[in-house]
Amino acid sequence: MKRGLLTLVVAALALLPPLGAPYVLHVAIVVLVHVVYAQALYIIMRMGYLSFGHAGYIALGGYTSALLATKLAISPWIGFVAGGIVAALLAWALGAVTLKLRGIYFSLSVFAFAEVVNAVFRAFEFFGGPAGIAAVPRPGLFGARLNTHLQFYYVVLAVTLISVVFLYRLQWTRFGFTLLSLRTSATEALAESIGINAARHKTLAFVASCFFCGVMGAVHVHYLRFVSPFVFTFFLSTDLMVYVMVGGLGSFWGPMLGTVLLTGLGEQLFAAGYYKSLVYAVVLLVVILALPGGLISLPHVFRRGAATERATPAAEVAAPRER
Amino acid sequence: MLELRKVTKQFGGLTALQDVEFTVETGELVALVGPNGAGKSTLFNIIAGAFPPTGGAVIFKGTDVTGYSSHGLARLGVARTFQQTTLFGEQTALENVLHGLHRHLPARLVAGLLELPSYRREQREVERRALGVLELLGIAAYRDAIAADLPLGIQKLLTVAIALATEPVLLLLDEPAAGLSHDEATRMMNLVASEIRQRCTVLLVEHNMRIVAGWCDRAVVLHFGQKIYDGTPDGLTRDQRVVDAYLGVAEIG
Repeated sequence: MKRGLLTLVVAALALLPPLGAPYVLHVAIVVLVHVVYAQALYIIMRMGYLSFGHAGYIALGGYTSALLATKLAISPWIGFVAGGIVAALLAWALGAVTLKLRGIYFSLSVFAFAEVVNAVFRAFEFFGGPAGIAAVPRPGLFGARLNTHLQFYYVVLAVTLISVVFLYRLQWTRFGFTLLSLRTSATEALAESIGINAARHKTLAFVASCFFCGVMGAVHVHYLRFVSPFVFTFFLSTDLMVYVMVGGLGSFWGPMLGTVLLTGLGEQLFAAGYYKSLVYAVVLLVVILALPGGLISLPHVFRRGAATERATPAAEVAAPRER
Repeated sequence: MLELRKVTKQFGGLTALQDVEFTVETGELVALVGPNGAGKSTLFNIIAGAFPPTGGAVIFKGTDVTGYSSHGLARLGVARTFQQTTLFGEQTALENVLHGLHRHLPARLVAGLLELPSYRREQREVERRALGVLELLGIAAYRDAIAADLPLGIQKLLTVAIALATEPVLLLLDEPAAGLSHDEATRMMNLVASEIRQRCTVLLVEHNMRIVAGWCDRAVVLHFGQKIYDGTPDGLTRDQRVVDAYLGVAEIG
């Protein structure tokens, strides 16, 4: 049944857009882009790490591809991959040092890194300074530029499907399974004692997470045709964490659900910026207090019934198991 | 098998271990005994690679492994349990043991991503192996139970199962019977003395004299970070220094 539902969703995503207006396609593109960001962030949140700086890696991917395209006229297709690789390399450099830290120390180090990245882009004329880089070209295919929303939508959809399938499969590999052993410092000590190289696994997970953010960051910039230090900010990093938390950490589909609801419906209903933050804050608070497993845990909670749910230790509710 | 040479550990100005020396021969079941704060857990952590000693050396199978990482030692065949029952609490008993098999499994990332039939077959084989370890300890019935929900007695056996799944040469058990009822402790120690010691050498921390006398070949006693006794469990209660060390805190069960 699950497989049938997925096929239906993918078919709808592939077949319906030609019927949609450009604005609907714009929203769809924004949602898909953020779905990949959130799913990528989910890999490390699943290991108990909060990143207040994923926007930094998204920006690295975006800037890399934008610079390659505008300065060296390199194809955006290559730029997408290059963006991912640059983000991954810098994630490796930072992760190798900071993933030993847990909790707020790691979160702050990533935050600081993202702010440094942002400051460098702002400070140097080479990176466009505060004005950023304009006239970033759209990619071409068979000699034609993919200029319409519909054409670009399919680019985003392709990258999203590849990324999401990869990330989904990754968690069911031995590597993904081993990451589950690194959720807390106590289980990490146990994991080390049975021969798991925790530092290496955590670094690889962080690198994979940032690679996909970098790739999608590049795609995002070629969609906007523009990038500046004010596009990928701290607020994007926190929004992504809100999506993952609201959707729920207990299942792969949680972050996706949170992202679709908050970026899709949120952008629609509360287009004005201030209201968006307010709504996110309220939704997050309600979910944390009333539904620690996120929206994805709703069926799980209903099945157990309210009485037993209250009797369950908080930790287990916070991370209901995947089945 | 295992040889400690003048192992010393200082935390700041505090000396937790002072020139501790002893050996453990292949196939032995040795108890490390001592009152609270004697340095047993510190020594355990050093042998298992959780942190390095300030001085001295740890020799394992003829190799100087002083300062090796915990996962490096695990790959050489040193497994351990923790004093505070530590499990992968949100996962099932079977999944806990599957983590224990980690060091014997190739990563096979591509095969896993593509879910190749050979990978699935291999995965089923791995699960059978993990189930075998649960069966060995008589807890296979709990294979699908969430580890955090299990009673303490079963959890303790599960921590041993995880360590045993690594197929260790040397197994370090940190108070395997602590918190268990008389019967549960007996069950645990019977397993340690039969099934488990057939497979590996065992060094355990214990301060319950019933267990030391009942199941162990040899006892090493630490007191204020120094070794004060190394010999048969029977000789323990006749040794004046051991009796003095335990005076007032005796736990002769």
